[in-house]
Amino acid sequence: MRTAWRTLRTAFWLGWQVESNWTDPLLFALYQVVRPLGGLLILLFMVRAAAGPAAGPALGFLVVGTAFWPAVVAGMQGMAWAVVGDREHWRTLRYVYTAPVSFRAYLVGRALALVASASAAVAVTLLFGWAVLGVPLRLELGELPYFLCAWATGVTGVLALGLATAAGVLCVSGEAWRMPEAVGAALYLVSGALFPVTVLPEPLRQVASALPVSWWLEALRRVWLPENSPQSFPWASDLQVLATLAVLVAAFAACGLLAFGLSERRARQLGILDRETGF
Amino acid sequence: MSPWVRSVRAALGRAYPRLVGSNRDRAWLFYDTVLPLLGSVALVYVYRSLGAPDHLVAYAIMGGAAMAFWMNVLWSMAAQFYWDKMAGNLELYMVVPCGLVPILLGMSLGGAVATLLRAGLIVAAGSLLFGVPLPVRDLGLFLAVFAVALVALYGLGVTFASAFLLWGREAWHTANLFMEPVFLLSGFYFPVRALGFWTAAAASLIPLTLALDALRQLMFGPLHPAFLPVHVELWLLVGLAAAFALAARASLRRMEHLARREGRLSLRF
Repeated sequence: MRTAWRTLRTAFWLGWQVESNWTDPLLFALYQVVRPLGGLLILLFMVRAAAGPAAGPALGFLVVGTAFWPAVVAGMQGMAWAVVGDREHWRTLRYVYTAPVSFRAYLVGRALALVASASAAVAVTLLFGWAVLGVPLRLELGELPYFLCAWATGVTGVLALGLATAAGVLCVSGEAWRMPEAVGAALYLVSGALFPVTVLPEPLRQVASALPVSWWLEALRRVWLPENSPQSFPWASDLQVLATLAVLVAAFAACGLLAFGLSERRARQLGILDRETGF
Repeated sequence: MSPWVRSVRAALGRAYPRLVGSNRDRAWLFYDTVLPLLGSVALVYVYRSLGAPDHLVAYAIMGGAAMAFWMNVLWSMAAQFYWDKMAGNLELYMVVPCGLVPILLGMSLGGAVATLLRAGLIVAAGSLLFGVPLPVRDLGLFLAVFAVALVALYGLGVTFASAFLLWGREAWHTANLFMEPVFLLSGFYFPVRALGFWTAAAASLIPLTLALDALRQLMFGPLHPAFLPVHVELWLLVGLAAAFALAARASLRRMEHLARREGRLSLRF
């Protein structure tokens, strides 16, 4: 356990260095917030084009979804990109894998570094939504435990999704670096990041109901937005949302660990664990 | 062999893997088509959830096609020399007798044609999925705007490629930075006039801004709040195409010289 913790911490530090030390801290901070803010402004102009200046509660829904989305991307894609990057780009996967450390803890540490770097974007987007766009965002003291619980459970769920994606990446060669993007794009569509999942056709709505990310975003919206805001699961109470999130995260974590174990074994059997594909 | 023949053969040789090679691997076709389409579908649902009219839904679909072109220019033109540096090809390009310009022309030609196929699939799939009509009022003018915009866009790509020649890890992050901000400034998913005249004018340095506005005028007529008249936008695009061609040539020489002098051509990280 202690080794796993030490591995996680070191991998977190390494992930942070890989992400941030290519430039100075100010430019890095700017880089972290420009993309999410750009995404939010695109949605703002879309809402204005469709509904005029009085966008109403739809804007709040978009702001919270856009604010927390970088954390989803960072956690899920970060783990898969750590595998692809170490294997294809830095060519260090074989050394990390053969080191006496937990490979899973290493990947979790790398992904958490990305989640940490994405939290600046979360904060700035929420602040921008509240101060510039006038969205009635709030975080009451009494709801802080709910928020922290939802945040921690949600991040765990995102890491579980990341582990499942990394499992796929381990056995895929040529297109490995695009697979995390594809998973992210699919999640963006079905998880209610931008609109309530009630808008989706029935089959996609069923998929959305089975994803922890949909429930995570719903839980976060219940904390940050007023009660009359649009909801993805209007029939569920706040506690039901949190409980469903916890159950789904547990299921996805179990599936992610299982998938990763199987994929890792298969990659070793086939001798493709460290095979580079760019040449 | 005359230098002209050599250059044309080098350009066609570089275009070949993009035209033929990329279509051999079905996974590329899937990712290049489905990824932008998924993003567009999400934005279509945003418009649908707001009860927006059909022409705004069509904007989101066109935005997906524009995104395919921009991604190609950014990742497979601008950042290509970075990938080539990683793979060890850049040194080979530098020592071949044709120079870098025909190689970049070949990349542009192959990339433009291959992306055209993908963008066509995105528009067709989006239009069929959501039952959105995409009428074209003046096909000749539509094709002229589209063709000139492609030349200008890939000229911008070549200009960027020369700048990326100097960079190492920054190249990846810089290319990332040119995603959402460019989607915003070029009005990929909404009329660019909404940004205000001067912001839209500044954003017109990106050829997709003027191209999307002109194409939308030719498709939706008075329903589209135009930024500038179509003919003006066409001439501006012609000017951008010429300017980027000259800028690319000058910038490539300058950056190649700098990269050689500072020893960065084979610096991988």
